[in-house]
Amino acid sequence: MESELIIKNLHANIEGKPILRGVDLVVKKGEVHALMGPNGSGKSTLANVVMGNPKYEVTDGEIWFKGENILEYSPDRRARMRLFLAFQYPMSIPGVSVANFLRRSLEAVREGNKPLEEGDNPSGKMAKRKSIPPGEFRKLMQEKMRLLKVDNSFINRSINDGFSGGEKKRAEILQMALLEPEIALMDETDSGLDIDALKIVSESVNALRGPNLGILLITHYQRMLNYITPDFVHVMFDGRIVKSGGPELAFELEEKGYEWLKPSDEQNGVMVNG
Amino acid sequence: MANTFPVGFSRSAVEELSRLKSEPAWMLEKRLHAWDSYERMPAPLGRRGDLGTLRIFSNFKFQQLTPYMPASAGDTLPASIAQSLKEALVDQRSGLIVQENASVLRTELSEELKNKGVILTDLDSAVRDYPELVQQYFMTTCIPVESSKYTALHAAFWSGGVFLHIPKGVDIEDPILTQIWLSAPASGLFAHTLIIAEELSSVRYVEEHNSAFEGEQPSLFSSVVEVHVKNAAHVEFSNMQDFGQNVWTITNKNAVHEKDGSTTWVLADLGSHAMLSTIGVGLLGNGSAGELVGVFFTDHDQRYSINTLSDHAAISTNAETLVKGVLTDESRVEFDGMIRVRPKAQQTASFLSDHTLLLSDACRAESIPGLEIGANEVSASHGATTGKIDEEQLFYLMVRGIEREEAERIIVQGFFEPVLQRIPLENLRSRLRRSIVRRMSKGYEGALDTSWIDAQERWEVEGVDEYAISLNSPAEEEEIQLAEY
Ligand SMILES: Nc1ncnc2c1ncn2[C@@H]1O[C@H](COP(=O)(O)OP(=O)(O)OP(=O)(O)O)[C@@H](O)[C@H]1O
Ligand SMILES: [Mg+2]
Repeated sequence: MESELIIKNLHANIEGKPILRGVDLVVKKGEVHALMGPNGSGKSTLANVVMGNPKYEVTDGEIWFKGENILEYSPDRRARMRLFLAFQYPMSIPGVSVANFLRRSLEAVREGNKPLEEGDNPSGKMAKRKSIPPGEFRKLMQEKMRLLKVDNSFINRSINDGFSGGEKKRAEILQMALLEPEIALMDETDSGLDIDALKIVSESVNALRGPNLGILLITHYQRMLNYITPDFVHVMFDGRIVKSGGPELAFELEEKGYEWLKPSDEQNGVMVNG
Repeated sequence: MANTFPVGFSRSAVEELSRLKSEPAWMLEKRLHAWDSYERMPAPLGRRGDLGTLRIFSNFKFQQLTPYMPASAGDTLPASIAQSLKEALVDQRSGLIVQENASVLRTELSEELKNKGVILTDLDSAVRDYPELVQQYFMTTCIPVESSKYTALHAAFWSGGVFLHIPKGVDIEDPILTQIWLSAPASGLFAHTLIIAEELSSVRYVEEHNSAFEGEQPSLFSSVVEVHVKNAAHVEFSNMQDFGQNVWTITNKNAVHEKDGSTTWVLADLGSHAMLSTIGVGLLGNGSAGELVGVFFTDHDQRYSINTLSDHAAISTNAETLVKGVLTDESRVEFDGMIRVRPKAQQTASFLSDHTLLLSDACRAESIPGLEIGANEVSASHGATTGKIDEEQLFYLMVRGIEREEAERIIVQGFFEPVLQRIPLENLRSRLRRSIVRRMSKGYEGALDTSWIDAQERWEVEGVDEYAISLNSPAEEEEIQLAEY
């Protein structure tokens, strides 16, 4: 099955207020797409809706992943299909250690959505999980932590609890490296990182980059794109993708801002899509 | 031997009980006096608009209970009790008391402690063997008979019980364990614990309350725990209550402190249909200190009323109360936390926090903070929160592949973890973690999945550092490679 994420005419509301108003986007394995756009245009909403955040109501459109319409799937089931989201604002969960949480998470994602018994698995319930020995898990974590230059003590701490902004972002990428997604949505992973951290994170994303991973990189800044050259750049405005192009589009945005892309009423409905 | 004790509480039942025990006259007198108080005193009814737990107790059918129910199988331990004893603090305890219903079935104390003069016995024997001590300390200054209608009933009908006396300067590091089992329906179990820690002594003491009987007909567990902490002594008292839903529980615990004495209460309440629990820290000596760490988990239609009192009556005393609870289904919990600073209690520091998590729409929690401050050099604070599981936290865990039920369980465990970390006894902490998972998993079928806790505890001990990698056996590595994508 082709691992592509296909978003068709996606409309979504939050608390009755329309935010996404017809998003069309295809992200294939092996590709890196940058998604840019002004504050409040709906970029995080798109990422959340793709992962199935119940806070948002999908009013129209479809989301396909690996040939399945995943709109009705729970977030955990989507994750076990190897969709990943690095959050713009990662939640902290006091009292739950990173090590324990990630081991559980890795077990779940590795197990996928295998049938409970013979036949298909319409409910998407998880099969009995194969447990990952704590020692083995530790070894894996240390490998990834070295890659991201994360301090060892990190995995004994509670999830994102008391982490600095930059530490949280790095922790998200650490999780991404560990869970090996096929399509990853990275929501402003670059914001809040100092220059050294940005370099480390970009390098590890580049290391993960390859034919088995597709990335949607949500960002405001050219500076991350200097490290990670995207194959495509899209601009979101008011809940729609209003322009798509190659990496040069990002430079153009850096120079001219977003205002020139603001769709006039007549232009509505005439969307350009890569 | 069938129990022939008549059903219902009465003056003649008090006399009959005392006669059966061949008690000295002073104890009979004390019981009768308590009975008169019980008859005279009104049942506490709570306030208008509270969640009604006290009123439910006032309607409890006390008269359908048998006041005195000896153990079911004479002196031998029933199988379920024997089994649980194998798991509870084996090899770690320095003393043991097992009480089933009204009878103490077993008393053990290490030779070492016996040689140091420690006394551990059932209270019935102590009345006979140490009458001066019992007369001085039993329901006098720590929890007086007339503290409430229910303590008066307790004083009239107590049976079995624990008497622990620690002589001056003796430290008891390995815990003394008391297990109390309720194994009969429609009976009253009146267990009394009296601990006297003399100057500069210390003790770790654990009490576990369980039941083993089927059926709807409820039984009553009435417990009074009195702890006397002398100059610079320290008592650590842990209590895990896991009765079945056919048990109603009324407990009063109090510790009174002389100069520099201190107590740590660790209370875990999971069971009982209804529970009325009062816990006090009486800081009567200068420089004394009390700590209370409490966790509870309620489901079905359980009703709890938990009342704590930090009573500061001397100079430079400290108290800290930290309670965390989770409610689900239709359960209701009232928490009433009082900090009282008496006029001469300068340099008091007292803190109380109470956090509850609500897992269902139908459960209710109410927290009533109380501050009575009569001195001016005081630092006191009270913090309470009640809330639901954060949907965004749940979403975060689910986006990492974890199913909703498990994600909820993880968040609840994380919620409890900071309090569990403060439980000094590792064995208790570990069992409590598992009990919480069990309660959270009641909708699940099959064996309890504890691998989460297992890993957590392993890491707690080993740390998650590089040196631990070599602990892996080659067989495990192979298994992993198979699972690799
Ligand atoms: N709970 C909510 N209730 C109402 N409106 C909301 C809510 N959450 C988000 N919105 C609105 O949805 C719109 C889209 O928000 P979104 O977070 O998707 O934007 P974004 O493109 O990611 O912006 P940024 O670049 O600042 O991260 C915004 O106008 C925001 O105010
Ligand atoms: Mg955003």
